[in-house]
Amino acid sequence: MDETDEALMARIAKGDERAYHLLVRRHLPAMLGLARRVLGNAADAEDVAQEAMLRVWTHAPRWQPLAALRTWLTRVVVNLCLDRKRRAPWVALEAAGEIVDPARDVSEQTEVDERERLVSAAINELPPRQRTAIVLTYSEGMSNAQVAEFLDTTVSAVETLLVRGKQNLRRALGNVIEED
Amino acid sequence: MTNEQFQIFLDRNGSDPERWPVVDRPAAERLLAGDIKARTILQAAQRLDAALAHHGRDAHDDGAATARVLARLSGPLPRQKAQRWRLPTVLLDWQFAPAWPRVAALCACAVIGFAIGLSGVDRRIDGLDQAYASAPSNDLGSLVFEPEALTGARP
Repeated sequence: MDETDEALMARIAKGDERAYHLLVRRHLPAMLGLARRVLGNAADAEDVAQEAMLRVWTHAPRWQPLAALRTWLTRVVVNLCLDRKRRAPWVALEAAGEIVDPARDVSEQTEVDERERLVSAAINELPPRQRTAIVLTYSEGMSNAQVAEFLDTTVSAVETLLVRGKQNLRRALGNVIEED
Repeated sequence: MTNEQFQIFLDRNGSDPERWPVVDRPAAERLLAGDIKARTILQAAQRLDAALAHHGRDAHDDGAATARVLARLSGPLPRQKAQRWRLPTVLLDWQFAPAWPRVAALCACAVIGFAIGLSGVDRRIDGLDQAYASAPSNDLGSLVFEPEALTGARP
């Protein structure tokens, strides 16, 4: 049965737990990925995704379909991530669980892993709003106008965040990106 | 467009020409056609953008984390928030936020204006005396309807 998000939300508003778990399975992986990219920390990302999904359940009776559920959920996750970054410092974890590409030999794979680790570390060092703007632009494929909407700011402010973020990344990565 | 401006343009809009604003695209393409340094800047921007996009791709492939969160959500769910009285959607969609400070300022000015007007603090004390003293001579009603002071005759 391929029910729309709106239909599932109507059922959840009446306390239908089955509909809730169906909706969670549909959106959780993407929201978890978004939280992980914005926070740069797998454990915190799981907490944020769980909190966002619980809000779907608790707020369902009050939810109004003014925008797509996915848009509302993304906004909740982004706000929870920024709140978490404001509240407490975090400890960055090393990237874990990389899927090994059998086509590459070990030395090549190690080199690629090392470069990806450095890029991840540089992104994690960015200030939260710069990092969020970059993640929403490059990972979520959003336009500058969409990012401005999610960050509750103007398009020119988003452009400034992107320019500063990339300047910081170039400074941090040096010639890591140049080597190909 | 200079090379420095081109670098900022790429940082703002990305290295994919498909996403460049139509207004600025001709200037960027003219620069690329005639300047080797600009092409080097574009290639570096493309490598950085590819690395950023790849950073996002890794985060999608975490089935274990999804399973852990699903397991945590499988327990008893909290109580749902009570449903509010349902306003029509169009009312809920109105954006009051930008207007309320100005409306509040207008209301405050109106209240202060009424208070000043009712209390009379906007008039000078000696001015009040003069106003009361001159009132009978200027007051048409008293001239027409009040009795003569000495004789008591009415007009």
